[in-house]
Amino acid sequence: MKPADKKAYDKDYALAKKTGKPFFPYAIFKDTIVAGLTIVGIIVLAIVVKVEVGEPVNAATTDFVPRPEWYFYFAFELLKIFANQDVLTPVIMATFMVPNILIILLVVWPFIDRGPERRIWKRPFAMGMIVLVTGFLCYTTYLGAKTPAGVSSQGLPVSGLDEAGTAGMQVFMDNGCGSCHMVAGVGAPGPGPDLTNFGSKGWDEAKQIAWLKAPNPPMPSYASLPPADLEALATFVNGLGTKYK
Amino acid sequence: MTTKDIGPKNPVQKSADATIDYVDERSGVKTGTRWFLFRNIPEGTSWYQTLGFTAMVVFGMQAITGIILAMYYVPDTRGGAYESIQRITEEVTWGWLVRGMHKWGASVMIIVVFLHMARVFIWGAYKYPRELTWVTGAFLLLLTMFMGLTGYLLVWDQKAYWATVVAVNIFASAPIVGPYIGDILRAGPEFGPATLSRFYSIHMLVIPGAIATFIGLHLYFIVRLGISEPPWSKRRLRIERDEEDARREAARERAKALPGAVTYPATWPVKAEEGVR
Ligand code: HEM
Repeated sequence: MKPADKKAYDKDYALAKKTGKPFFPYAIFKDTIVAGLTIVGIIVLAIVVKVEVGEPVNAATTDFVPRPEWYFYFAFELLKIFANQDVLTPVIMATFMVPNILIILLVVWPFIDRGPERRIWKRPFAMGMIVLVTGFLCYTTYLGAKTPAGVSSQGLPVSGLDEAGTAGMQVFMDNGCGSCHMVAGVGAPGPGPDLTNFGSKGWDEAKQIAWLKAPNPPMPSYASLPPADLEALATFVNGLGTKYK
Repeated sequence: MTTKDIGPKNPVQKSADATIDYVDERSGVKTGTRWFLFRNIPEGTSWYQTLGFTAMVVFGMQAITGIILAMYYVPDTRGGAYESIQRITEEVTWGWLVRGMHKWGASVMIIVVFLHMARVFIWGAYKYPRELTWVTGAFLLLLTMFMGLTGYLLVWDQKAYWATVVAVNIFASAPIVGPYIGDILRAGPEFGPATLSRFYSIHMLVIPGAIATFIGLHLYFIVRLGISEPPWSKRRLRIERDEEDARREAARERAKALPGAVTYPATWPVKAEEGVR
């Protein structure tokens, strides 16, 4: 805003205040009603939808579903969007670049949009932005809510399993790998990449085990699995799409 | 201020008045409160402007229910955390309600804060002179989300544990500083007992302190600058209409002053202006 615009605003606002009404009781009245209803709503929700106690933590072997609270679903979906792309170093994009750009934009927004205009219909760009961002957040939250909470332990639709492969598949399912990775259409479509054709990468067992023990974030480490399980898991994953289709 | 003996006869009332005067003389609370409550706000102040206050009240409720939960919660991974949550939910009198309110309160607070921010954004209420009010608000949004993140782990069940492992890994994936942030959050290279204590103290001391501080700053700005007027307030619309009328009137006058312009409809000032050229 130019100095003249600032002065005009100050003058106009002073006038609005002079011809206004006192904070108490006018604003306090509305505030109290809305806040009161909100608290009542929270109490009703707490009574109707009771909190639960989940399964106790078992850090070693798990059938886990790394699902965050609903208000972080959008971040998980962001991970999924980038997980299956080999460009732009996906993890950095999804977990670092994009969120930080959004956060910086949020904080400095008033220093970007500095025009004096306040009328809604005269600010199409700002309105477009908020519709876009809100739409994106709602849509990704919806996607996150839709993702099945667990992955069935019925087995994966892969054939050609030998003894090692079967054991590996069992480890794969017991440890909830499927809640981040998809294999032949089964499992969650992210945040991890689809592993259906992983075998075509030609990793050897040592490389796979090293990865499982110390993967790139956000994948958790599986260093706590017994060595035999790790070996079976490595064999299974390295054979996906080649030996086991 | 001296109390003259013309006030109420009731000695209780009299001594209460005297006490208030005594405190006000030294602290200015009475004057301050009066100034705060009876300052003017614009005429058209609307229901949309109740969301910030609502966020504050929900935060207060979270603080109270949180304090009650802290009386029973044991931040110990080796048989304590999970069991104490179980006890709160199943045994403690009203425990399920307090925990339920705290959990739902978190979701509601996120929604209310987001709606409040949307209101501010749509109204352009972040513009001069309220830029810094927005900046403090943006930090409040981030802090509120961090509350959710750190609180989630405390129940120490499978879902919470693994979601938090992934979340911390996300922080740790940042270039350069990431590994350090990861170590700080985890209290070491591994997830374990120390991690839970750390999250507990961040969740109930560090972030609430920061939120309270930022709410204080936020309120200071709001009271100092005054709450903005709805862009469609009656007063604004009247001014805009008057301005528009004046503009048309001026154009009409200009058109009239020139020869030949009278043949153009006076209600189309733009056309009239073009016509005389
Ligand atoms: C814990 C979160 C928050 C609390 C407790 C809070 C509290 C308040 C209160 C009580 C007001 C007075 C007017 C109203 O109620 O609308 C207000 C105004 C304001 N808030 Fe917040 N707020 C929070 C978050 C935010 C966020 C996330 C933003 C934006 C990024 C923000 C930006 C503003 C601005 C710019 C105003 C001045 C608006 C005006 O004068 O019309 N606040 N806030």
